[in-house]
Amino acid sequence: MYAFDPGAVWRGFPYLLEGAGLTVLISSTAMLLAIGLGLLVALLSQAGGRLGRGVVRAYIEVFRNTPLLIQIFIVYFGLPQVGLRLSPFLSGLSALTLYAAAYNAEIFRAGLEAVPRGQHEAARSTGLSPLQTARYVVVPQAVRICLPALGNNLISLVKNSALVSTIGMVELMFVANDISFNNFRSFEIYGATALLYVLLVLGLSRGLALAERRLRVAT
Amino acid sequence: MSLAVVQENLAYLLRGTVSTAALAGGVILLGTVAGLLVGLLRFVPSAPARAAVTAIVEVVRATPLLLLLFFIFFGLPAVGLRIPTWPAAVLALSLWMTANTSEVVRGAVQSIPRGQTEAARSTGLTTVQALRFVILPQALRRMLPPFVGLCTILVKDTSLAAIIGVFELTRAAQESIERTLHPFELYLTAAALYFALCFPLSLLAERAERRLQRP
Repeated sequence: MYAFDPGAVWRGFPYLLEGAGLTVLISSTAMLLAIGLGLLVALLSQAGGRLGRGVVRAYIEVFRNTPLLIQIFIVYFGLPQVGLRLSPFLSGLSALTLYAAAYNAEIFRAGLEAVPRGQHEAARSTGLSPLQTARYVVVPQAVRICLPALGNNLISLVKNSALVSTIGMVELMFVANDISFNNFRSFEIYGATALLYVLLVLGLSRGLALAERRLRVAT
Repeated sequence: MSLAVVQENLAYLLRGTVSTAALAGGVILLGTVAGLLVGLLRFVPSAPARAAVTAIVEVVRATPLLLLLFFIFFGLPAVGLRIPTWPAAVLALSLWMTANTSEVVRGAVQSIPRGQTEAARSTGLTTVQALRFVILPQALRRMLPPFVGLCTILVKDTSLAAIIGVFELTRAAQESIERTLHPFELYLTAAALYFALCFPLSLLAERAERRLQRP
């Protein structure tokens, strides 16, 4: 009969919490970068003509239709072969950012298209430049439309960030592996880790639902 | 960069692709059947039963797939339940697929106006009949786009099985790389093969979505 050892969880818990903190840090950094990149890419597809649209389409489809794990491996194991050697941290961060940005770009593209054409025309006819129109009229409305989908993407990113443990980037999953491969209490440690991820994800989705409601009131 | 490496290992990678397709196909089959059942369980009359099903689904959905896989493959043996690589991967992926499919089912069924159920019931159909003949036929149409999207994600996520040693496309690439030391070309080739599997699914999901928008 297996003797459950709560002490293993107790001793490992401070490290797991530290790992959870790193997971939050990594996913939020990647998400911030991915929002910037995604918006840039979406605007490029709006303004870049046929070539711009084609390039953007290709980027979005390639990154959304190949496994994140393979993308991480290409950055970490593949790029050094062609002379670009990144640390596990930078490899993980750039792979997560590029992957999330492809989803964000698609979200922004749909959001920008959802802003009625008349808004552009009205803004332009009041004398705003195309850049000002985007900055003050279209983008703020699009972001509001995009918020729920962006939130879902952030939640996916928190879970997907576990994959960077495979290249040795330290976060919650890496810490869990590290502890359980040393004390062989994998059942307890992985159980406790799952609990932390669940708390993280549920907390995040509650927070996002709240933010959405706030923004709706503001309009 | 060397194209010869790709050429020499392509047959091996294709064997991995077939394995990936088989793994994904099996899991989609299992997960869809189980997901439909679990999705409908979320409408049973008993509130505690509904809460229990919802809680389990939420926990599976909130846990990273890699952790689910490690829990089954490394965690369960610690309590005496040793599962070999293939069944462990199928189990973890099927749990994931079941939980997410059930969520798609729940969303689609709830999107059908309540009046439909009430009208069906008042014509004398039983609850089960109303579900079977009135609600589900309408809900199935709405399930299709998110369900196909789910299948795309699943095909990509079968790559995680390589980490516990299941032979599929990612594993085939890793083994070829161990022999040749050409990670760049071979991972790119693997990515292209995944793309060949996933892109048609994505197009299908998009088409189903557009069709749904039409009245």
